[in-house]
Amino acid sequence: MNCFKRKFFRRNKATATLLCLLMVTFFGCKSTLEVEGNFPTPIINQLPFDVGVIYGQTFSSYKYIEANKDRNKWEIGIGKSQVQLFNTVLGAMFKNVVITDKVGDESSTNFDMFIQPNIEEFQYNLPSETEVKMFEVWIKYNMKVYDGQGQLIADWIQTAYGKTPTAFFQTQEKALNEAMVIALRDLGAGLSIRFVRVPEINDWIKEHDKITTNFVKPKKEAKKKETKNNNKNTLLSKRNSKLLPINNKI
Amino acid sequence: MNIEFKSRYFICSLLIFLLPSCTTVVIDQVQHQATNLKGGDAIVVIGRRSGSDYETEPELISCIGTVLSHGEEGINVIPENDFVDTLYPWFEARTAPTHVQALQRLISYEKIAKVIDDYNVHYIVWVDGNTEKTRGSGSISCGLSPTGVACFGFGTWDNKAEYEASIWDYRTKKLVGKVSSVADGTSYMPAIVVPIPLIAPVQADACKAMGKQLRSFFTNNS
Repeated sequence: MNCFKRKFFRRNKATATLLCLLMVTFFGCKSTLEVEGNFPTPIINQLPFDVGVIYGQTFSSYKYIEANKDRNKWEIGIGKSQVQLFNTVLGAMFKNVVITDKVGDESSTNFDMFIQPNIEEFQYNLPSETEVKMFEVWIKYNMKVYDGQGQLIADWIQTAYGKTPTAFFQTQEKALNEAMVIALRDLGAGLSIRFVRVPEINDWIKEHDKITTNFVKPKKEAKKKETKNNNKNTLLSKRNSKLLPINNKI
Repeated sequence: MNIEFKSRYFICSLLIFLLPSCTTVVIDQVQHQATNLKGGDAIVVIGRRSGSDYETEPELISCIGTVLSHGEEGINVIPENDFVDTLYPWFEARTAPTHVQALQRLISYEKIAKVIDDYNVHYIVWVDGNTEKTRGSGSISCGLSPTGVACFGFGTWDNKAEYEASIWDYRTKKLVGKVSSVADGTSYMPAIVVPIPLIAPVQADACKAMGKQLRSFFTNNS
């Protein structure tokens, strides 16, 4: 009799635990994700500028909280990883990058330009919500670039997109993290390649005459320019040898 | 007697569980030029990630790499992640060269060419495609009772893996050839108390077939 009682309670206990687990799964779910990833240093030619970068509190601790009641509750922390990405990419893009609080601060007049990124929009899709078996992420960044005096040079939208397919035994958090890292890599790629192609920035660089070429100089063009410069230098040296050192610097 | 019956039942269940379903693989190859892979030369296998509604699975790319580098005559394959990370941001989904001419333009940049030269890359293999479920039918229902969970029913589904590899010669900057691998398979899942999955390894078979074909593509001509 005792044995039967024990068995009965054991079974009931197991069932109750299972029911609790199911209830938690279906009704009490809240997924939290702090995006983590490694971002490689881009291969690009460095621009000879001292740059101040302003992240701001909202940006560096940005957290997306799902407000739509029809969707699962998600909290996605992007702040740390996007700051990590910007530090890596901007560090490779410019000669010197310093994190500052304000644009055109009096104490920071030595800066050639200031860069201020901001998130304008964040969207994600889960495979359960679409017909595509893919975790997708879109982020819209607003990039603002100011000169050393705090005058706005350029203001443009830089988009980031990342996707990752569903896989066996992969948690939603891991898959979404992967899609986020791909999106941030896409942002880094877009920013590092597109920066000098933004017309206002290109004009500003030309005006400031610090650099006349794009980020990465093609071999042939570089060689042609080198040959041209050498020819120039030879001609100049023939005309006036005193000018040679200055031309060499340029 | 009871123990013997249980062990037999367990072995039978295990055999059924381990028995994979059948897959049909069709391999196709087009070769424009002979390959010339010498000792010390490396190849890199990269997945195309520019499709809007699919993505070439990273596990397939690493699987092809493993098949190519396996054995005594294994080819020196550079891991995709290493290559893409070192050449960041030039081989990302939206920036990767889509045709050989674009590669030519890309490597006209000194820094990029130097990295690829350091790897001693001779061939770049671009793999495009994915594995997807094409059909599904049947139903399995599971019930919860004080005695535990039990499932009954039968489910079946078809998977199709379709991949195409384009082989670029990095040194001559030409498309050397293409290899395609199409695998079809049907998986079954009968459920009598416990669901027994009989999975058709469609993606794995497509990978093995493509890997072997690529290997013969590189070794038979050299």
